[in-house]
Amino acid sequence: MQDHIQIDHKDINRDLLSGVLGTPSWWLGAVVFLTLVFLAGIGAFGYMLNKGIGVTGLNRPIMWGFFMTNFVFWIGISHAGIMISAILRLTQAEWRRPITRAAEVMTVFSLMAALMAAPLVHVGRPWRAALWVFPYDFARGVWPNIRSPFIWDPSAVMTYLTASSLFVFVALLPDLAVIRDRATGKWAPKIYSALCMGWRGTPRQWKLQALAGILLSALVLPVFVSVHSIVSWDFAVNIGVEGWHSTIFAPYFIIGAIHSGVSAVAMLMAVMVWLWKLDKYIRPDHFDAIGRLLIVVATTWFFFFFLEWVFALYTLEGPELALRELQVFQWPYIFLFILFLMTAYFIPVPLWLFKKVRRSIPLMFFTTVLVNVGMWLERFLIIIPGMARKTPLTFDWGTYHPSLVEILMVASTFAWVALGMLLFSKVFPLIPIFDIKEGMVFRDEVKIGRRTIPASIRE
Amino acid sequence: MAEESWGMVVDLDKCTGCQACVVACQSENNIPINDEDLFNQRRPIQWIRIERYWEGEFPNVKARFIPIMCQHCGDAPCEPVCPVFATYHNFEGLNVQVYNRCIGTRFCANNCPYQIRFFNFWEPEWPESLKNQLNPDVTVRSRGIMEKCTFCIQRIRRTGQDADRNGGDPTSAEYERSLNPACVNACPTETLAFGDFNNPDSKASKMRDKDSVEEGRAYSLLEEFGTNPSVVYLKKVDELAEEVVHG
Amino acid sequence: MASESAAQPGKLALDTPVGVIRDLLGKYQKTGDAYWRAVALFGVLFALGIIGFIMRLSDGVSDKAVWGYYAAMFAFILTTAQAAPMVAIATRLTKAHWRRPISRAAELWTIVGLFNLILFIPLLWVLPSLEDGRRSLWFFGNVDDIPIYSPHIWATLALVFLVIAGLMMLWVSCLPDLATIRDNSSGWRQRWAKRLAFQWRGTSAQWNMQHHRLGILGAFYFMMLVFVHFLISVDFLMALVPGWIDALFPATHAANALQAGAATMLLTLFFLRQFGGYKDYITLDQMWLLGKILFALSLLWFWFWFSSFIILWYGKRPNEQAVLELLMIGPYLPVFMAAFILNFLVPLFTMIWNPLRKSLWGPPLIATSVIIGTFFDRIRLYVATYTVPGIGDPAVDKHGALAMDAITKANLPDLADIFIIVGVIGGSILVFLLATRIIPSVSIWEQRELLLYKVHKPFHRTEVMVLGKRD
Repeated sequence: MQDHIQIDHKDINRDLLSGVLGTPSWWLGAVVFLTLVFLAGIGAFGYMLNKGIGVTGLNRPIMWGFFMTNFVFWIGISHAGIMISAILRLTQAEWRRPITRAAEVMTVFSLMAALMAAPLVHVGRPWRAALWVFPYDFARGVWPNIRSPFIWDPSAVMTYLTASSLFVFVALLPDLAVIRDRATGKWAPKIYSALCMGWRGTPRQWKLQALAGILLSALVLPVFVSVHSIVSWDFAVNIGVEGWHSTIFAPYFIIGAIHSGVSAVAMLMAVMVWLWKLDKYIRPDHFDAIGRLLIVVATTWFFFFFLEWVFALYTLEGPELALRELQVFQWPYIFLFILFLMTAYFIPVPLWLFKKVRRSIPLMFFTTVLVNVGMWLERFLIIIPGMARKTPLTFDWGTYHPSLVEILMVASTFAWVALGMLLFSKVFPLIPIFDIKEGMVFRDEVKIGRRTIPASIRE
Repeated sequence: MAEESWGMVVDLDKCTGCQACVVACQSENNIPINDEDLFNQRRPIQWIRIERYWEGEFPNVKARFIPIMCQHCGDAPCEPVCPVFATYHNFEGLNVQVYNRCIGTRFCANNCPYQIRFFNFWEPEWPESLKNQLNPDVTVRSRGIMEKCTFCIQRIRRTGQDADRNGGDPTSAEYERSLNPACVNACPTETLAFGDFNNPDSKASKMRDKDSVEEGRAYSLLEEFGTNPSVVYLKKVDELAEEVVHG
Repeated sequence: MASESAAQPGKLALDTPVGVIRDLLGKYQKTGDAYWRAVALFGVLFALGIIGFIMRLSDGVSDKAVWGYYAAMFAFILTTAQAAPMVAIATRLTKAHWRRPISRAAELWTIVGLFNLILFIPLLWVLPSLEDGRRSLWFFGNVDDIPIYSPHIWATLALVFLVIAGLMMLWVSCLPDLATIRDNSSGWRQRWAKRLAFQWRGTSAQWNMQHHRLGILGAFYFMMLVFVHFLISVDFLMALVPGWIDALFPATHAANALQAGAATMLLTLFFLRQFGGYKDYITLDQMWLLGKILFALSLLWFWFWFSSFIILWYGKRPNEQAVLELLMIGPYLPVFMAAFILNFLVPLFTMIWNPLRKSLWGPPLIATSVIIGTFFDRIRLYVATYTVPGIGDPAVDKHGALAMDAITKANLPDLADIFIIVGVIGGSILVFLLATRIIPSVSIWEQRELLLYKVHKPFHRTEVMVLGKRD
């Protein structure tokens, strides 16, 4: 960490609590706007509930469309949190400190957005799904079909949501105590008091909190791998749809999730610097580190993308070739395919190879936005063309055009996540105070010859 | 009725593509009316459909017809993927759709390689006069539910009950027209035959065995998927057609 | 991390550069009886292997079924020894300090890669050309347009580049140590070290290039390793079974290699510690951290296997069911169960137990289980695949599915196969042992570098160690 700034604890408290104890000027306007977009999506959903799935662009054979794409996309984004907090915590990377909480919170809201995007929303009879699934209708002694990937899905996603929420909460405890000691008003101190569960900062409490963090990090990693594997198996176990039945889907989707998730975190970092003026805490060093991680992740992703294509063409079967021809050469997919390749890999990664680009906040924001556009398109290109060229029975081939209802509902999930982050930032600090302080305390320097290099204290 | 394995034989040599089977199926099973709008949206519901493929170049163009309905696969790919068990395999070898359990995830439709599953995108509506024509033996489905060919299970059940009441074997010739699905009865050229594949003397079994043993015309659709369908197709005989090698 | 051995009189403390050099040079120059006994033992095993190979050669190269075990042993060395350097490469990338004592031992395994390249050559005659019409990676156009020996050419090129990258990486890594040996010893060692050290003087420019080159060579080795696994697992394995289309398999093959490489390193470190006398360098930290990596990679073994399995099993397609029958639940079920238990269940249920994981003997023990499991895994894959009939016969259709009744019974090893198995293992270890005579097993310059980064400082009322991390 070369551009480290040593900051006094009092200043840390003041800077990082500014969003909680006060309100930035732009905050209310943003919340109103996002709420309107979100409500527009709710309205579209209401319209769909009233009229039927017919208001979407779905048809036979394309039975899943924007909703499924969006679902997979948000599950993908949700992988950012664990990647950043759990994996970087276990490998003791110092640069994770300012971004863990924002990443974890984005995970929680993304998972909720994913649940909003598909499971209860895109089914034909959501009212039946809601009444029969929660609680499940065992009246005739028929249990859920465990062989169905749609039963694996909610189990995995709910486990991940629970684990992520716990993670966020355990990491929040010390900061809640800081706010409790500074909050004014009638209700705020009481609420924060209750939430922080009597945190006093004793050595034993710190030890337990650190242990809980490490245990959760280790235990959530299998969940992290299994959630997106299971979501990918929604598609891969299908033999009916061309291009889906490939064993590579599990790692391909996971590495894609890490790619889009870490890019989303980088985007979030830029937003935090610009909107909350946190440039003393999120330094160009952090962008540099996340940029280097992204190069490795993106290239691994590209390797799996390449493998998927090699083995699709390896079979040289007519239906598979017809699908690939549609995906790459026919309008409008040709445009989407080229756009996807450029935005997901061929523009960002060559740029990230340059240190100047990695340390520039606007360029990092721009490239990571491109990555997420590309990754949304990637999910679309995996899901829809396969169904359009589904079987060798060419009589049943089809096309898909998204409707306004689907577009509004997709937009509302984006609004939900942004809204969730904004509301969270008003109630809890987005940068973990205790983590930053810990980094300052453990930081030291070592002199080698004429150079001083950064170091940290190890027990 | 516990040992039957219902199956169908489709003799492609006889099919003229007249679509009488499609119409019969629609009347028998309360299928919603497919108007031009619905076709343009690519959402018509046709439990049995006639697929038409063009072969050859002008002036030697030929139209090939193949009626496709639910194949009632022995290893149905649609069954394991339904989260609520709305589709399962019953003791008679039929793939059964339980409308009440279906929440409309459409997973089964994706996994069916024959594309014979249909989703009610809209609430079906009938003009007042046509409501009297609805078959009381068949559930009228609402929107949001999957449906497909059932081999007219209501007719199988009614025939079974009639046979129990009046005596006789429901699979015998006496009950043939009562047992047959509507499409089989409606076909003017006797393209379709329905029967119990477990009984080697049934009409369907005889058609299948004759043409697989003697003339070698019998095949199943998309055999490489390993779905083990209960519908056997008999190849069209066309001496003028060139030998086509399928890769 | 070097510990203070001030307790031993007359021995320089290991927290000084001179102390480290004297200590490590001393270990390198001395070879005890145990070493020569080991060389003799593995030499005998290697000789048996040569006998087995000649016996196998007498069967000819046209029937590839009898060469299944040979192919499996080549793959075994590719998976274990040639992946061991990844431990050095990956840890260098993360700039962890605990890897310093072990990186040289990992890089030494690249010499065994050269041995494996020689082992590979007979397989080029065993593998049929693409004239038989089977699926392959070289799928553009039809068989008449592509060179029919494409798999052979590409796999050889990739393997050659892998070995060259490995040897270059080893040599660059040794440069400072060769200079140290040149300056501190005499006799044949001094002459060889002088030639190989290539004018190393220890200037700052040379040190900068050192880190730079190691990074690039390491990345190149990793890419070539993945590429070699990709080519071997597809053209020398998957393409030989009609209907086996598993897009994940190249990645599974490579991931198995990473796990086996970590296990190989753990076992190597155990022996280096016990018999090489490197107790001060290879300590609990190395075993513990590498053990954690082995644990994670064992979990990944299961995940890669399951990801393939669930797709092939769920769809019930005849071609996929036949593949499952051939490779897992059919005649090779006992071998598969052994691999599954040793590669996954044993590490999972033992490594979660702290006293075993954080000990000097625990991780190497589990590493042994993983290596044996990998051995069974390669045998099941290669022996089963090489017995598939029809491949090599242009008249048989290779694009369909393997028929269930074409799955032959399990191919049990005969005497030649057993000789080949012990010979390959013995030969690899023999090559490694001989290499340690020429090159020190623990990197002297990296240990000296560590002393620069480590400082002990007072902190509040105690004293802590401060560890620098280069950017």
